[in-house]
Amino acid sequence: MSWLSRIASAFRSSGVDRAIDEEMTFHIESRIRDLVAGGMTGDAAEAIARRQFGNRLRLREESRDAKLLPWLDSLGRDVRLGARMLRKNRLMTVAAIASLSLALGACMSAFSLVDTLMFRQLPVHQPERLKYLTYSAPNPEMPENDTFSDPAFRRLRDAGRGQVDLFAMGYASKPRVTFDVASGERETVRAQFVSGDAFERLGVRPAAGRLLTMQDDQRPGAHPVAVLSHAFWMQRFGGDPGIVGRWFVVHRPQEDRQFQIIGVTEPRFSGVEPGYSTDLWLPYAMQDASAFGNAQYRTLRVIGRVKEDVSPDQVHSVLQAAFTNFRRDDAPAEFGANTPPERVAQFVNTPLHLRPAATGVSSLRARFQRPLLILTGIAALMLLLAGSNVANLFLARTAAREDEMSLRLSLGAGRGRLIQQMLIESAIVAGAACLIGVMFAAVAAPAVVSLLRTAEDHVLLDVHVDWRLVAFISGMTLLSSVLLGLAAALRASSVAPMTVLKASGARASARARALRPFVVMQVAFSVIVLFVGGLLVRSFVKLISVNPGFAASGVLLLSWEAVQPMDWHQQRTALLEVLDRLRDVPGLAAVSAAEDTVLGRVRDDVSVPGTARETFETTMAAVAPGFFETMKIPLLAGRTFVRGDFDTERPTVVIVNESFAKRYFGSEPAVGRRFEGRIAGSLGHEVIGVVADARYDLRKPPAPTIYILIPIRSLGILHVRVSGDATAIADRLRAEVRAATPLFRVTSVTALTAMVNRTLVHERLLALLAGFFALVGLVLTAVGLYGTLSYAVVQRTREIGIRVALGARAVGAVRSVLTDSARTTLIGAACGLAGGLYAARFVETMLFEVALLDVSSLALPLGMLLLATLVAAALPAWRAARVDPVIALRRE
Amino acid sequence: MPLLVLTVLHRRGPLHGYAITSHIQNLSDALRVEEGSLYPSLHRMEEAGWIKARTITTEHNRRARAYEITASGRRQLGIEEARWRSVTDAVNHLLKHA
Repeated sequence: MSWLSRIASAFRSSGVDRAIDEEMTFHIESRIRDLVAGGMTGDAAEAIARRQFGNRLRLREESRDAKLLPWLDSLGRDVRLGARMLRKNRLMTVAAIASLSLALGACMSAFSLVDTLMFRQLPVHQPERLKYLTYSAPNPEMPENDTFSDPAFRRLRDAGRGQVDLFAMGYASKPRVTFDVASGERETVRAQFVSGDAFERLGVRPAAGRLLTMQDDQRPGAHPVAVLSHAFWMQRFGGDPGIVGRWFVVHRPQEDRQFQIIGVTEPRFSGVEPGYSTDLWLPYAMQDASAFGNAQYRTLRVIGRVKEDVSPDQVHSVLQAAFTNFRRDDAPAEFGANTPPERVAQFVNTPLHLRPAATGVSSLRARFQRPLLILTGIAALMLLLAGSNVANLFLARTAAREDEMSLRLSLGAGRGRLIQQMLIESAIVAGAACLIGVMFAAVAAPAVVSLLRTAEDHVLLDVHVDWRLVAFISGMTLLSSVLLGLAAALRASSVAPMTVLKASGARASARARALRPFVVMQVAFSVIVLFVGGLLVRSFVKLISVNPGFAASGVLLLSWEAVQPMDWHQQRTALLEVLDRLRDVPGLAAVSAAEDTVLGRVRDDVSVPGTARETFETTMAAVAPGFFETMKIPLLAGRTFVRGDFDTERPTVVIVNESFAKRYFGSEPAVGRRFEGRIAGSLGHEVIGVVADARYDLRKPPAPTIYILIPIRSLGILHVRVSGDATAIADRLRAEVRAATPLFRVTSVTALTAMVNRTLVHERLLALLAGFFALVGLVLTAVGLYGTLSYAVVQRTREIGIRVALGARAVGAVRSVLTDSARTTLIGAACGLAGGLYAARFVETMLFEVALLDVSSLALPLGMLLLATLVAAALPAWRAARVDPVIALRRE
Repeated sequence: MPLLVLTVLHRRGPLHGYAITSHIQNLSDALRVEEGSLYPSLHRMEEAGWIKARTITTEHNRRARAYEITASGRRQLGIEEARWRSVTDAVNHLLKHA
């Protein structure tokens, strides 16, 4: 057994050993003292004392076994007994483990997503000293802006020198590039322009070659070099070390440009934006020439490393002053002469903010934060629900084992042992659930990430297990096992052997009462999940059934690109040729193009002279002739665009939607009105038509919208309305485009309906998961209620038997049980509703045209739960009432 | 051994290990055993709940563990005494009449 003691030593022995040693030393010293007092010399006394005492080491081993073995032994026995009891109650064990593992798994997946997106620090040097700059949007409801122009960045960097090292990392762009020049194969990469000092400031080191330096960033256009990310290097080139020094081509509409790969970043760094990994970095100096000195060309994020011993407030005040000065200088170029001065003042005095960048700079975070937090909340509720469910089952079972417990107590078992026994059983359940939960989370978390992903948005969340997740899981398991077992354990240990062995009827109702708080709790959690889940599902159903104002089905979107660089006029000619060619293809009902897909949007300020509001923000969409026919957006007045409008390089005709006309021209006819202000680079526009409203964001009412013609710089996305089978025609369309012009090729064909669906990806995900959880929660609750209520009823069999024997009708007995159960459920439901209304405030912004307190959002969860309760209580109650009174009385 | 220790503790009140040894030796030279073997025995009895230990300070200002008999220890003492008596009675009977 000494190997067991050795294992136990790991936990308990050092203290035990010390105590034993101390005691033995005391003995020997006392003996020496007595012998010396009797006239012996010190050395002789010590020798005798030691000889008389015996082999100290062996005695210590013996003592230690005596102290540790009983504990170990009882632990082992408890584990074996626990496992046996759990096996015996197989159904309950499976139910407990299943519900708990589902909830734990959900919690872990949600937590790992939240952790990845929001809490994980960037793998760079001292991330807590990184800040990034944002400024308030003109409209306080809009999110803060974080894009800066080249001149703004330079001004801020120079002003902050001494306090903060500012560097720029552009918004990622997705250029088409060719690595394999021989085949000419093109691919899309995520590239980012960065100032030369960015890697040095971040503290990122190379895995191969070298990274960018300020030497690579001196003269605009003169440094065609690039750095690959480690992930991209591995995935695209298999980690080929010969890649350093290779040249590749970046395709731009006007010209192709060769770049040389000079190095690869270290493996852990994949950019500063959680959720996205950057494939390659290019020097700031290699941006489009129009970026330099252009205050309108805003594509840069400005990040800074605050120097040691400098407070963020100091940095902020310096940068704010520089930013205000810059905007004051820039204002004349930004506004026309007749702009109201308060608008200019607002522009100049825009507040600048210094935001922490330790966990990265993310637009993804802002978008996913709320859905993820809601999911986490629901997952946590599920855990509470499953927890109270299992606690219920345990408690009911403990009550059923009161006889066993009281027998053990009266045979002399310590109450501590009984508590230990119960806690071990719940720990076995929790441990098993944790294991299954981890496996579940390992599958579920990546699945959720892939649901969040859309074609344009390659969200790449690296959901891996790290110490935080491990700590979280262990904590959860520990907590749940203690909480689950504790109620049952305390109850088990507080059994009074006398009363139990005497078997009295009063006990039964006392036991049933003890279960009540847990039933109430369980019902309450379940109602919260059902209520919130119901809201999200109904909101999603409303959202997909909203009429967008255009007919999406049957419309295909074709993205296309030029095979070689060409000038704007060649490009425009090609667009018109392709539109003409496709128009004659049988099976196509209408053909057009638009700069963006229908749900992408641009906002701009437009001033309309003579209207009450001089300047306002409006949605703009650039389209080609035939767009309204293709999308089936009805024309209400005037005319739509025709080919002739395309002939001038700067067209000045526009079409507005109904909302725009109503809001800014009132009842006066809109057709023929003119605008001042700058739209897409040209001044002075005339309204030639009014079309019906179409929603560019399904969640919002139609915005006032101006339709302009596709600018000459844009190739647009082809929109075709197919009258027959849409999928069959895709290949045909590619061939037609190739035939129309060999200089272009189609890169992708997408159905507009799929595009519309993708814009609702968050709502869909939330509705799906919340609905799933609500259903699972309902099933769990029903099972739990059945378990506990039927137990309570069985306990009352004797009482019911007496009543029936005394002449009560079986129906009456059943009814009393049902009323009791229904009351408990209703109390729980009331608590749950209060909680649900509170919780609903957090999801409210995600909801679409759903009232919190309407009948269906309340009636559904309540009705389902009440039904579950009644079924759970009625079956056993009915059985109890049918039992022969004599048998019922004899039972105890 | 338990019988001796329990008896000493029952009669003399709380004692530390060395004092128990001294008592047993003072009363009987015949019962002299390896002194250290007292301790595993004490620890086993402690785990069994017959005696309980607490830390005291001796007259020489040393920390020591003093043992004290518990209620269940007194019960056990009764059992052990009865057993001892029945064994010795049986042996005496045998010696007398065999």
